[in-house]
Amino acid sequence: MTQVSTGSEAALHLSGNWCYWLFLGLIVCIESHSTEIIQEETFHHCCQLLLQQSEQLRDGWSWESVQGSQVGYLKKTVLRSVDINLSSVWDQVGSSSDSGSHSVCHQQQQEKSALVASYDADSIKEDITDDDGGFCAVSKDSRKVLQYEYHILYSCSYSTPVLYFRAFTLEGRSLSLEEVWSSVHPNFRIRLQNSPLNTITQQEHPLLGQPFFMLHPCKTEEFMRPVLQLAQDQNRPVNYVLTWLSVVGPLVGLDVPLMYFTRLLPSPALLSNPKPN
Amino acid sequence: MSDTAESPTEPQKEEPQKEEPPPPAEESATSEDKKKIDVLLKAVGDTPIMKTKKWAVERGRTVQSLSQFITRFLKLDATEQLFIYVNQSFAPSPDQDVGILFDCFGSDGKLVLHYCKSQAWG
Repeated sequence: MTQVSTGSEAALHLSGNWCYWLFLGLIVCIESHSTEIIQEETFHHCCQLLLQQSEQLRDGWSWESVQGSQVGYLKKTVLRSVDINLSSVWDQVGSSSDSGSHSVCHQQQQEKSALVASYDADSIKEDITDDDGGFCAVSKDSRKVLQYEYHILYSCSYSTPVLYFRAFTLEGRSLSLEEVWSSVHPNFRIRLQNSPLNTITQQEHPLLGQPFFMLHPCKTEEFMRPVLQLAQDQNRPVNYVLTWLSVVGPLVGLDVPLMYFTRLLPSPALLSNPKPN
Repeated sequence: MSDTAESPTEPQKEEPQKEEPPPPAEESATSEDKKKIDVLLKAVGDTPIMKTKKWAVERGRTVQSLSQFITRFLKLDATEQLFIYVNQSFAPSPDQDVGILFDCFGSDGKLVLHYCKSQAWG
């Protein structure tokens, strides 16, 4: 592959092994983006690139593979302080007025301060109180520290990545679908709830066989198409999985640090090699 | 920071070349947050093009707030969702301050954001 060998020669002059693999990998990602979907091999490659960046950024992603096979997934565990307020989820029609904290702005403020995208227990500032016996509180102080586990798998049926996740209280109780909904970003909650199909559904994890929540991949092509087109027009390299994650992550409380996208990349001039005829 | 040639023809009102979206109902911002940055909004695909593309936006304004503004401006209905892309390569987090995005991805004194509407999820 002429393009790759040219690239690798240029890449060797760049400092660091990381740049070399990133460079090669991005070539793969660009070439595979003739459509809005990706092959499993490309998915793997994009995941490895994401993983390398994650390690540099200490963002906590790991690769889990199924024993004895190439198949695997990206995994990340996060502790979040979330306001589990069930009544606020169904309060959109404004029927309940027993709590004064249901204005959209207040929700936004709470959500803004609620995200703790770090696995560092020291950063948890909230006291864990068990006097609720659950989450029946209607007050705005019904905060719980939860452990979220996110998995990125490859969907063969859609030829796209797909996000699985589950959440537990620190006591080990898994969250219900209603509780998970209440932790969805307010920006998306109404729209997701209005969808004719269930967007967040409970599914059996394809590899682990355990119950997870899944963000349905049916819209992936649609929101990936514009950005891939833009990137192609500008000869800009894109990591499909990372870009996909930047869209779906916020829907389920998963923060994708900006640093993933500001990292030094090889100069665009090196990447805009003439395409092979 | 001067206006570029691609500014659209303004309607016959006495409006400045750059406009400001109405302020959101948030708590008082710091003086740094109140500083404004230039944002250029570009439509993708068959998404409606905004008549005014250039906006002066407070640094402290979030992506979500800007997204809501665009949604209202374009009169999108509840079944439509707006996607915003930065640097033609990713979607910014809704909680991200536009000022930070400008610092990282601004060029020629402005932050270019591409937006695209699609049917709601599902």
